[in-house]
Amino acid sequence: MIKPREEKSLLEREPRFEDSFCSIQAIPQIPKLHLKETRTLVSYARRFNDEVVRPLALKTDLKTFEDPDYLPWDIVEKANQWGFYTMFIPKLFGGQGWSLPSHAYVIEELSSACVGIANVIFVHYLGFVTMLASWNLPLVNKICRDVVAGQRKGNPCLLTLAITEPSAGTDVEEVELVDRGKVTCYAEKVKGGYIVNGTKIFISMGHVSQWHALIAYTDLKKPSENTVMLAVKTGMKGFSFGKHENKMGQRACCASELVFQDCFVPDENVLVDSRRLDFTSQIRTTGELVNQLIHYVVEVTRASVGAFGTGVARGAYERALKFASETEVEGKLLINHEWAQIMLAEMYKNVIAGRLTYNEANYSNSLKGGIFHFLQIKPLYYYMKFIPQPLIDMFFVPFYKLKIASWLIRRIYVEGQSMEAQKRCSGWSSIAKFFCTDLGVKNSQMALEMMGQAGLRHENGAEKILRDSKLLQIYEGTNQLNRLNLFNCLIARGVPQARVFEE
Amino acid sequence: MLTTTKQELKSFEELARSFAAKELAADREEHDRYPFGPFFDDVLARAYEVGLLGATLPEDCGGIGQGISALCVILEQISAADASLAGIIFTNALAQEILLTAGGKNLLAAVMEKATDAPSALIAFPSFANPSETGVSLEAVKTNQAYLLGGAIEYVVLGGIGGHALVPARIKGQSGYSYFLMELSHRGVAKSRPIFSLGWHACPAVDLTLAGVEAKLVGAEGESAQYFSRAADRMHAAAAAIACGIMRGSFQEALEYSRQRFQGGREIINWSGLRMILGQMAVQVKIAEMLVSEAALAVENQTPQWNLCSRAAALHLSELACKLTTDGIQCLGGNGYMKDYGQEKRFRDAKQTQALLGLAPMRKLSMIKDMLS
Repeated sequence: MIKPREEKSLLEREPRFEDSFCSIQAIPQIPKLHLKETRTLVSYARRFNDEVVRPLALKTDLKTFEDPDYLPWDIVEKANQWGFYTMFIPKLFGGQGWSLPSHAYVIEELSSACVGIANVIFVHYLGFVTMLASWNLPLVNKICRDVVAGQRKGNPCLLTLAITEPSAGTDVEEVELVDRGKVTCYAEKVKGGYIVNGTKIFISMGHVSQWHALIAYTDLKKPSENTVMLAVKTGMKGFSFGKHENKMGQRACCASELVFQDCFVPDENVLVDSRRLDFTSQIRTTGELVNQLIHYVVEVTRASVGAFGTGVARGAYERALKFASETEVEGKLLINHEWAQIMLAEMYKNVIAGRLTYNEANYSNSLKGGIFHFLQIKPLYYYMKFIPQPLIDMFFVPFYKLKIASWLIRRIYVEGQSMEAQKRCSGWSSIAKFFCTDLGVKNSQMALEMMGQAGLRHENGAEKILRDSKLLQIYEGTNQLNRLNLFNCLIARGVPQARVFEE
Repeated sequence: MLTTTKQELKSFEELARSFAAKELAADREEHDRYPFGPFFDDVLARAYEVGLLGATLPEDCGGIGQGISALCVILEQISAADASLAGIIFTNALAQEILLTAGGKNLLAAVMEKATDAPSALIAFPSFANPSETGVSLEAVKTNQAYLLGGAIEYVVLGGIGGHALVPARIKGQSGYSYFLMELSHRGVAKSRPIFSLGWHACPAVDLTLAGVEAKLVGAEGESAQYFSRAADRMHAAAAAIACGIMRGSFQEALEYSRQRFQGGREIINWSGLRMILGQMAVQVKIAEMLVSEAALAVENQTPQWNLCSRAAALHLSELACKLTTDGIQCLGGNGYMKDYGQEKRFRDAKQTQALLGLAPMRKLSMIKDMLS
């Protein structure tokens, strides 16, 4: 019908086939066991919702208003007992090694019951993925082993990402903006380590976490090429917590201020320093390597926020459905008013559309160049699944410190990710982020419209869902920034004269 | 906008604006902590002293005797700073409006005559419910001297702080419902703790349980659906004014912040993406101001279909306010989500306002019903 060369040429036209049909390309490559794992995890999340999240959601939210100093230690302890903090850490680092792409389905489940509590669990994985993206195997392994020990001993060890600064939110998420931004977190290189001064704000779960992936700059005039990621542990001298924010919603999950005053961080705690890389990339400049690191993180986390948005949209839909099924308006059940049926159908559609979108973003991450790809290669996947943990600890872990291990991991993840793949993954995660979170807010608004006076009351839960939903449009890059990132990644490449962040 | 067509309203605008600046703006966050912080009794007392609680109350009942336009001007200014006080003014004015519509001026005058302070002058009312939609849960039994009310009623705004309440009840053996005026200090009244709601935290509501509470019938038995409908038609313009004020407040704070906050080496207002959001907000605020003016004038002049104009203004602006306040937070990024700024409160208050006077979708349907009849 069509010659291979012509087919290739036609499919490379915009919209490019490779970028437009991620699922159809990815699914045949994904191990079958992934489906079984996902079914198990979703059912486990549903049980956790029944036994922990739903009984605590409104009670905890109320508690935060009564006691502004409340921190979610009780929920963290529960989540730790249920194994959520090691669930998605690969067995290579001592974790349970459940399929990482399945985490998004679990997020949707938990968020449908309480997005604040879902964050108490999954902000930890923002910290984990950030540390992982440094590809510093020995240090990531050391930190993850602390998490595993924390679960075993009943002493939770959580991870965070500390990046946002008082005068720089969007700027620190974009390498193209950061040099023009007002960043102040300075890491001075001294003998044996770094001395850090500065403040980080809005750090989710900061107060209750043990390890923090701190983004700082060794030259504040050119931060894009002088970025350093340090692993800072709670209790280190010169590191303290400031206030935690009084937020509108997601109040179970604290947002902390982290203060660094002459905080000495030893060299052994450096996850990555863009000025001191022990390799040279053939395809990226230093600034582009920093950009790749940030984008590796957001390629996962923005799709995850899409799952949060879908979960919140579902929670709102479920509240509205329950209300409509039980409440009479003008003498008949609301559910039997045609307009209400249409509204509910619209809300249901929003949930489905959101789910398809965050899934597509994660299928993009499962394709070559995506962060999930390597661990989903079938032989490796099954090997890691069934090999006993002691054998990994015995035969793999000792190699992490060897140069060959660093070389191999960078071949796979740093040089192995083409610029095209980076743009595909980053573009899709941005689509999932802003589309799903906009739908989350939309459904929350619709639920309240349908419920009227009843929706306003705290004990009915719908108003909390609206308050919670709004934050999703802001963190992990505002939805406006994500639209620009989509433009930058998947639209501007076809228009050579297009410039982003340069108006 | 109203003050450009009706110059005599200037003084009310100025009064409300200076009151909002002096009494509301600085302590907004603290006032919003209620019921987990103190109630702003002092602010309410001063609002009563300067006449903000009696703008539409007839002069012979001790009020200022103004029309709906003056009320709209006041509510718009107050809501730009803190819609909770606007909620109190609105609910009290709605209760007064129903009493007047039902021919209960003498009852209203008696309440005001006995009032010695702000709480005793307030008449609580379930201002988010249309009893024709959701039904009536209270029952009234006629005795020789009065009616006795029994049962439970939800979400009576000001029920925890007002001296009286105006509540709907069904008279035993009759169809339709009737409004009754009752004293909230009656021994048969049991009040819940303040309801913790989405917005309007300092405009508290409670659930009431009544057992043999003496009450006075307002208007004729079983006719109150008409009273509610007529009063609500007028008060929809006031609801639109609250939405408009919230929108203006949100826009002004977003504009101010955008001129101070930097991103990518310049004030964020100088990025056209953000400026477009602000431009959209500016358009919406201007439309809102015009709409409130027209709706208020239509109500006052009783122009043809004035009631549809009033309802349409409230429905449209409350929806628009929900959208605009979402953008209002967005312009401030993470800061907009924090209680240190006013944006998150406006987002909540806008949604609260949308729920006034019954389910918004049902009110849209009633527009068509009325047009067809």
